[in-house]
Amino acid sequence: MRKILSRRFLMVLGAALAAGAALATNYSLWVNGRTGGGVAGNYADFTYWGPAGTAAGVNKKAVNWDGYNHISDQNYLVRNALDCYCTGANWCYVAAHSAGDLMIGYTLSLYGGSARYKKNASPGPDGACGNTDGSTQTGWNIKWVDVAAGAGGGSELANAGDWALSEPLVADLKTGTARALYDHNNTRAKMFYMWAGAKGTLYSFVLPGQDDEAIAYHSAGGISGSGGGSYCNPSDWLCNDLTLGTAPAEGGKAKWSNHSVVFRDTGEAYNHYTSGNWQGTVGLVRADMVNYAK
Amino acid sequence: MKPAAWLAGATLAGLLAWWAWPGRAAAPVAVSDAAGRSHLALPVAAPAVPSRQTGAPFTDAALRERLAQREQLLQRLERARVTLATYREQTRYPHESRPIAEHPDQLHPFAPIQESLPLRFPGSKAAVPGVRIVTTQDRVFMSGDEVVKVSVSAQDDAGKPLPLLITRAVAFDLPDPRQVAGRPQLALNFTGNEGVYSALFQPSQTAFSDFAGTVRLQVTLSQDGRQGVVNFDVVYQPLVPAEWGAISDRVADGSLDFVVGLNVKQAGRYVVNARVDDARGEPFALVSFNEELGNGAQTARLRVFGKLLRDAAPAMPLRLRDLQGFLLLQDRFPDRAMLPRREGVVHRSGSYALKGFADTEWTSEERDRYLAELGKDVAQLQAQLGPN
Repeated sequence: MRKILSRRFLMVLGAALAAGAALATNYSLWVNGRTGGGVAGNYADFTYWGPAGTAAGVNKKAVNWDGYNHISDQNYLVRNALDCYCTGANWCYVAAHSAGDLMIGYTLSLYGGSARYKKNASPGPDGACGNTDGSTQTGWNIKWVDVAAGAGGGSELANAGDWALSEPLVADLKTGTARALYDHNNTRAKMFYMWAGAKGTLYSFVLPGQDDEAIAYHSAGGISGSGGGSYCNPSDWLCNDLTLGTAPAEGGKAKWSNHSVVFRDTGEAYNHYTSGNWQGTVGLVRADMVNYAK
Repeated sequence: MKPAAWLAGATLAGLLAWWAWPGRAAAPVAVSDAAGRSHLALPVAAPAVPSRQTGAPFTDAALRERLAQREQLLQRLERARVTLATYREQTRYPHESRPIAEHPDQLHPFAPIQESLPLRFPGSKAAVPGVRIVTTQDRVFMSGDEVVKVSVSAQDDAGKPLPLLITRAVAFDLPDPRQVAGRPQLALNFTGNEGVYSALFQPSQTAFSDFAGTVRLQVTLSQDGRQGVVNFDVVYQPLVPAEWGAISDRVADGSLDFVVGLNVKQAGRYVVNARVDDARGEPFALVSFNEELGNGAQTARLRVFGKLLRDAAPAMPLRLRDLQGFLLLQDRFPDRAMLPRREGVVHRSGSYALKGFADTEWTSEERDRYLAELGKDVAQLQAQLGPN
């Protein structure tokens, strides 16, 4: 009887799939980090990442913000994009790099339960889309988030004044400020998959543990609590390991909830930078988006 | 799309689902199984295949391609099932009523932030060897008459205190494109006690009383003649948008609600949260509120979800602790105006029998929408994989 019911359930589900398939579209949204480069509101402008013709997940869209001003000032651009492509029948996969992690985390934690108008996925020049039927839904339709070199936990380069004081974003990236900005555990039940690079050498005297030349493992690996913790690859016996998956780091420090380390750079081969060609850990995230964001 | 086409599509999908069903899908992934694994191995290269036999329908290359595609589908199915299992597990309780264990760094929100950093000047290519500067800061965001306390000390690599001298300490505003920067710097008064120097800074009592933005407290240090700088940033907003009112508790909809009164002076989206401890002081829940409020007398409902109570079975009465809140100022900086902190236990609930609370999982349009979509992804991939 149970099997029959299950078959019937699947038949109903299958019918629903076929009915909805004509309307629903999946999108891959790419949220940039510091420095920006793409034109805000132009979802086809992948200047920050690399050639726009490169595959990067189904129906890829560049969620451009200036990478210069405060997260809160620029957040409307991300909310606009999520409203456009991740409401109604449409669903999204999200990829973020560096401060883009802080941006999407902030969005989900503080606005993830807000009422959103269902939009038509047809943006105007400012990146905002029109309403469909005037109805709203709670939050956005997001399946998961891939993060390369996440700066959700900030960077010691912002603490020490190595990055330009004139950039408002740098103040947000101070470790204490970034970690106090929102509850990083509140992802609204979306998984954050984390890629952490370790090719950094220039700033190893200021970035604790392994780093990719801008972000240390404590942030790229989603370690909770205060910044400044040293986390390394297993080959380093003098430093606690950044573990894979969602398990606490060696030493017992928990990761933020729903944060899972997919990649730690044991070969110290990946730095922070896209180099205008989807490089660094962004290249690994791009491959993941190609393979899984369908 | 014409109705006939819809019907045909629906029938086809249904038949596919029927055909794909028995014994072809692995068991659902439990979230406990998923925890701790890396989840996401990238699709591997096509496995080696034996040479085809004479008359086989595919070339070796085609067979490898098919196997690679199948491997990729299996990995996508694994991701889809983890996504579904995680979502289902994470939403048994509403987002606003969570086990505190899921929020490890929210347990004591008013504890000072402690960090350790090397002694150096910005832009220098090296740090002073063997010296760590330990800092504490008891808040980042502040409003009205709030006071921030910061401290600084020096240690060697083994954690042994080192003598330290503060040669300069000033407060200044960080550049902000929206306002004129460069107010006169203020000197800060640090006092020392056994090598730990601390200072209090209350913007409302200084020339920053009408300033909204980041104020940097910059301290220049000398450790045995070797110098460096540490920075403490506070984000100040003069506005205090509301006043706390009375707190009460009640049973509603099978849950326990703490009802926090607010006298709202500026309407908008308010974010409020607090911790819930049991009668023995054991923390077990984080409850939150994030909704629009109008002016005047309002309430923020902090709900301890019924099933969370039933599952955790805390000893009654419950204690509401460390209440905090702010007005979220959308698309602005500073993006929040803080209410005064309510530190410690701010309310004790009545004693309620646990069996009086609902034992059912959270339901909502949002959860239904997600479970349907994520379940559909799993079913589609299972259907694509077909029989083993």
